[in-house]
Formats: sequence, C-alpha cells, structure tokens
Amino acid sequence: MIEFEGVSKIYEHNGNELRAVDQVDLSVNKGEIFGVIGYSGAGKSTLVRLVNLLEYPSEGRLLVDGEDLTQLSKPELRKVRKRIGMIFQHFNLLESKTVRHNVAFPLAISGVPKKDIDARVEEILEFVGLSDKARQYPDQLSGGQKQRVGIARALATSPDILLCDEATSALDPETTKSILKLLRRVRDEYNITILMITHEMNVVREVCDRIAVMEHGRVIEQGSIFDLFSQPEHPTTKNFVRTVMENEIPASILEGIENRGASRHIYRVTFVNESAGQPVLSGVSKSFEVEVNVLFGQITELQGIPFGHLVVELQGEDKEIVRAIDSIQRSVTVQEVKAHAG
Amino acid sequence: MQVNLMDFWPRILEATNQTLLMVGISLLAATLIGLPLGIALVVTKDGGLLENKPIFNALSSVVNFFRSIPFIILLVAILPITRFIVGSSIGTAAAVVPLVIFSAPYIARLVESSLLEVKSGVIEAAEAMGATPWQIIARVYIPEALSSIVLNLTIATIGLVGASAMAGFVGGGGLGDLAISYGYQRFETDIMIATVLLLVVIVQITQTIGNVVSKKIRRQ
Ligand SMILES: Nc1ncnc2c1ncn2[C@@H]1O[C@H](COP(=O)(O)OP(=O)(O)O)[C@@H](O)[C@H]1O
Ligand SMILES: [Mg+2]
Repeated sequence: MIEFEGVSKIYEHNGNELRAVDQVDLSVNKGEIFGVIGYSGAGKSTLVRLVNLLEYPSEGRLLVDGEDLTQLSKPELRKVRKRIGMIFQHFNLLESKTVRHNVAFPLAISGVPKKDIDARVEEILEFVGLSDKARQYPDQLSGGQKQRVGIARALATSPDILLCDEATSALDPETTKSILKLLRRVRDEYNITILMITHEMNVVREVCDRIAVMEHGRVIEQGSIFDLFSQPEHPTTKNFVRTVMENEIPASILEGIENRGASRHIYRVTFVNESAGQPVLSGVSKSFEVEVNVLFGQITELQGIPFGHLVVELQGEDKEIVRAIDSIQRSVTVQEVKAHAG
Repeated sequence: MQVNLMDFWPRILEATNQTLLMVGISLLAATLIGLPLGIALVVTKDGGLLENKPIFNALSSVVNFFRSIPFIILLVAILPITRFIVGSSIGTAAAVVPLVIFSAPYIARLVESSLLEVKSGVIEAAEAMGATPWQIIARVYIPEALSSIVLNLTIATIGLVGASAMAGFVGGGGLGDLAISYGYQRFETDIMIATVLLLVVIVQITQTIGNVVSKKIRRQ
C-alpha cells in the first residue's frame, strides 16, 4: 500500500546537508497498522509527511497504492490526498468552526452536495462517539474529543490510508488508550491502512502489527511487534523495549549466575499467549528429571495478547536438560543465557 | 472675539460628518487594497502557500516604502496624484486619497500579522486534505484570522481618525481641522475641548464596536 524505496529527504542547513530521512526502505501492507518509533528528531514526522507529499522526497521512490505521487499534476495530487487522511499531535482543527463544520470541511472543499455532507458527517460523528458535540467549538472539547474530531475529519472522505503523526502524544494515558482503541476500530471496520509514528513504545505495543525503529533518519530495525519485543537487536530498539518491559537480566541476578559458575544451565524462555510459560515449565519438571528455578520474569501485553519471558535455571543431568529443552521448544522460544553475556 | 459653543454646534456637526466620511471611505478603500495585499504577503512568503520570492520582495518593499513616509509629508507630496484621481487637490474627497495611501500598507501589515497567527498546522491539515490554495485562503486563513483582523482594522480605523485631523491641511475639514483652526489658532478653548472630546468619543465607540464584533466572529 505504501512503499518506500531508498527514500531520502535532505534539508540544507546553512550550507550543511541534513538527511532528515536517509535511504529508507519500508513497505506497509494494506489493512495493516504500521508503527514507526524513534526519539525526537529521528525523522519520523518527515517520513509520514513524505507519504502525502507535504514533503518532497530528495532521493528514491515512494509508491502509494502503486502510484508515484511525484509524477502527478497538482490537481491530481489533491485528488489523491483526499484518499489519505491525516491526524496530528495538536489536532489542527479550525477553531472558528463547529465540530460539524470541521468534519464537513474535506467534503465541502470537494464539492459534495450539502445533503450528502450532512448525512456523512452525522454517520462519522456517530462512529467516533461525538454525535452530541456536533455544535460545539473545538475549544469547548477535551484533548481526546479534539482528536476524535480529527479522526472523524480524516475519515470523512473515506480514505484508504490514515497517517498519524504523534496522534496520542498530547493525551493522558487513559485517553491515549481510548484513541488507540478507536484507531483499531478504524482499521477493523473500514480496512484502512494506518501508518502511525510515535516516540512511545506503549502506543505501538497496543495497536501496531509491525514496527520500524528510526534513528538519525534511518530505519535501523523493523519487524513484527513480537519479533522486536522478543529479540531486539539494535541498542535503541532495546531501549524502547525496556521502556515497557525489562528485557535485560538485572545485574544482581547476573552476579548470582556468574558466582555459581559456568556449569549452571540458565535459559531465557519467551512465551506468547496460550504458549504461556508456567504450564509448559511445570510440565517439564513432571516429565523430566529436572528442577525448574525461576530467576527473573516479566510479562506485558502486546496488542492485547500476553507476552513475556522468564529467565530460568534448569537443574539436573545434562542429558535430561537437553531433552527437556527439546520438548518445550515446540511451544516457546528458548535461548541459553551465557553468564558473561547476559 | 468669543464664539458661543451653542451657536457653533452646526459647524461641529458638519465637521463630525466630514470626519466620519473621510474615515469611512478611506477605511473601505484602504481595506479593499490592504486585505488582498496582506494575504499576498503571507502566501508568497518563504514557505507560504504560493511561495514566490520576487513577488514577496516587491510587495514588501512597496509597503515599507509607503509606511516610512510621515503622513504630513505624504499629504503634500502626493498632491498631484490626488488632483489626478479626484480632479481637485482640496476638499474632503481630496483628503481621502492620502489617507488611503497612508493606511492601505498599514492595513496590509496588520492583516499579514493576523494571518500569520493562524497555526501552520491548520494550514497543513487543509493541504493534506487536498484543499486548493484559494480554498485555504477563503476557508481557512480568513475565517480563522477574521476575529484578529477585525481587531486590527479597529486599530487602523483609530489611526485614520488621527490622520484625518491632519487632512484639514488640504481643506478636508473634519473635527481635527476645526480644533486646530478655531481652538488652537484663534484661542477658542472650549471649541477645541468640545471637538477633542468628540474625537475621544468616536475613538471609544470605534474600539467598543471592534471588540464586540471581533468577539462575535470568533463564535459565528
Ligand atoms: N523544514 C525543515 N527544514 C530543515 N530541517 C528540518 C525541517 N523539518 C525537519 N527538519 C529536521 O529534520 C530532522 C527530523 O525532524 P522530524 O522529522 O520532525 O523528526 P521527529 O518527527 O522524529 O521528531 C530534525 O533534525 C529536524 O530539525
Ligand atoms: Mg515529529
């Protein structure tokens, strides 16, 4: 649906080149919620703004639904933009217009007949749960309500794609949750492809199918949410994962492992949903001649599914341990933890 | 020679009329010029909707040029132009020409600053929705800035009331002229006080109307 092929955006900064987006290759599938996470200044906003050509790419090719927007005339581009909704951190609503007129705006500029506009606005306000606020002005609304208006406005023209630039960053955690839930409904009920950028890991954890991590304009790592949470490679990704889940084994426990020497068998067991660790592990001690000793563990929720890992020590004969690992590896991921590596 | 204020009343009334006429017509004409000029300044600016450096620089220089000439000098300097436009270089109509030339660039700057208050994010949202530059000007810039534009036009109006007092210089009449020619030059203090008080009232009423209208517009 959205394909970046070696896309860069270069700004001139008093003679210096600033590569805000640097050689990015990304592919967002239809109906997917794709998250881009990165620290402030990583180039995330520039990246989404390239999609609807609010920024013009300096290098590479960007295809939206197979179409290279840079090849379009201005009127053609405006037409395509009506199929790409966008919401913003600070909502960017028209302060002088009521909620109803804000949502009607994209339809009114497309010359949709008034009767149809009214019907569509009513329908979409119903969807975002703001029917009773239609005649209010934005400054009479809370942040969450404003973002709902932003979403309603973005959806008014029935787009195929929704771009979200830090859509929840100005909201409190509870409101963030409700907006993310709404965005999921947008995808589930309208099959809209969502590209969202954020600097908050709990946001991508909640709704994204796949994520890319950006740093200095580059995509340093990408993959499914489960892959990046269970096996983050890059230090920055690890830092982000750590903001919602402690992935590293705490130093005190590591020390304990080291003191006990290399003969110990320490494993990290990663589990998802039904493959939940406890039954698997307790089964192990029943079926094999090994004792399971949990050293450390952490559970979180990814897209509403429990996800976590346990660091366990297996005690018993080497042969038995190998057999035990072999058995549990069918339902969970098991990695040996080297005492020195952590 | 003492002039009775009551006897003088018709003269004051006439002068009030002249002032209101001069200010009203000048305001209208200057807004008709200044508003599009202000819009043009904003959209041709660096990063504007229709960014165009040469046009922006040209417009901005013209505006700066006229804004730097003191009104009293402008008044005299453009006498030939005034004569060309209104067929005479004296009278109320003649006073309108310099008043317009004086306040149109001022209004352009005021409108420019009002439009620049519109958050760039809102403009960008409209662009992302596929709005044309004209739609953005008509449906975003102007309605979003209108309340602020009205307040700024109020300031411009009050400036015009002040400037119109000097327009007596070219036989424009008006309250300012009355205050100077009778009150100051002939030492008729009570006439001067009466006219000045009237000017004060006009300014107060203008500001009040401006405030009310501006507030109303924010929630139309
Ligand atoms: N219009 C611009 N001109 C020059 N530099 C810019 C512009 N927009 C963004 N940048 C720079 O590009 C980098 C990435 O910015 P941005 O995409 O906003 O990052 P993020 O959204 O991840 O915080 C920053 O260093 C920023 O200063
Ligand atoms: Mg940003």
